[in-house]
Amino acid sequence: MQHQDKHISDPELLQDIENELSAHAQKQVRAHLDLCWQCRTRRQELETAIADFVRAHQQEFEAILPPATAPRAMLKARLSQVPRIERAASSDRRFTWAILAMAGGLAAFILYVGLAPRTSRQAIVLSAPDARLTPGATLLENRQAVCAQANIKNKAVPVALQREVFAEYGVRGESHGYEVDYLVTPALGGAEDIHNLWPHSYSATVWNAKVKDELEDRLREMVCNGSLDLAEAQREIASNWIGAYKKYFHTNEPLQ
Amino acid sequence: MTTRSTVHPAVSAIGTGVSSGSSSSRERLEAEVVALFDELRDPLLRYLVSFGLVTADGEELLQEVFLALFQHLNQGKSKKNLRGWLFRVAHNLALKHRSKTQRDFAKRTQSQAAEFAREPGPNPEDQVQRSQAQQRLQAVVHALPEQDRLCLFLRAEGLRYREIAGILDISLGAVSISLARSLGRIARTAER
Repeated sequence: MQHQDKHISDPELLQDIENELSAHAQKQVRAHLDLCWQCRTRRQELETAIADFVRAHQQEFEAILPPATAPRAMLKARLSQVPRIERAASSDRRFTWAILAMAGGLAAFILYVGLAPRTSRQAIVLSAPDARLTPGATLLENRQAVCAQANIKNKAVPVALQREVFAEYGVRGESHGYEVDYLVTPALGGAEDIHNLWPHSYSATVWNAKVKDELEDRLREMVCNGSLDLAEAQREIASNWIGAYKKYFHTNEPLQ
Repeated sequence: MTTRSTVHPAVSAIGTGVSSGSSSSRERLEAEVVALFDELRDPLLRYLVSFGLVTADGEELLQEVFLALFQHLNQGKSKKNLRGWLFRVAHNLALKHRSKTQRDFAKRTQSQAAEFAREPGPNPEDQVQRSQAQQRLQAVVHALPEQDRLCLFLRAEGLRYREIAGILDISLGAVSISLARSLGRIARTAER
């Protein structure tokens, strides 16, 4: 400890500011500060530097931190799967669920699904899936893993699974007008699972499967160039893919 | 393949909030982890980003951090100073991630100080608000030696010297000297 005749070092002054000194050392420092204007000034400069840094730090990061909603939902999904992951690991599989439908998305689905009459079931599968049947499911893969794959687009869905999807949605006899589409495309980590599949019309609506393909390409490009978080892309396409299309293409109508 | 009629426990637990039949202690543990995520996600993400990671990679690492926390608590391990534990795990994962992507990271850190010095800000309004002094200060901070910079960021997130020393595996005295050196440089920047 330097005091009285010698000035106090910066680390000691800082420890005094931070209450990191022992009681004895603090007493000595305070005694010196009572007498030494130079050390008091230096102490004040360090306090000012802390305040300057805190302001700059806050300003630097406040603009770049994305909302916590999507990562929080993803964490909850992953936590609920921990035992399942352990079981999957034993069979060398990393498959898991992630439920991606959010409150906002549900509202959109109500618009497309919930208010439609049950008797016209096929009419409600024109543009968007039933969130209760198809909330979306993903593999537990990170951005690097997803982007390392060649652009796999929508891989073929097994015929038996397609039949199951059509049956669940009540599409019978006219299934030729539909593609069993992935809600979250495999190109964004979507899983080949019934919770991630729905019958999407090729042509009966402007918001058809071809338009959704454009969105999937755009989102994958953004995820892989780092301008969009993978979890956010999965959430947006699962909760309201039409809204996502409008957002990322800056249009209210399909560009096709 | 799972059918819709065979609802996986995760589906009801996440999608509807209805209990999946798992034990209440399990639910409490999950809730505890999520509560800590709510509290510490931003500070941890800031730390990871200040480490040189892009935000998306930081988010991915954070998921790993909190899954590790769940495992830690699930195994009945200590709950003492979980904040320090989380920062230490985040720090270690960031180091591991960086070693995998060393080339990109080196490129980013080399240009980072210069970017902070010359970038006017994301839009005209911000340009006005973001003073030249703050830009200079940010450039100085990003040009600090890594250990000094990490010390500073950890302290800014509210960690005590002892916690910082544990995370960075340095002595208490080294933390104090590092912080004083960094703040000294910042003070000199402010004088200009």
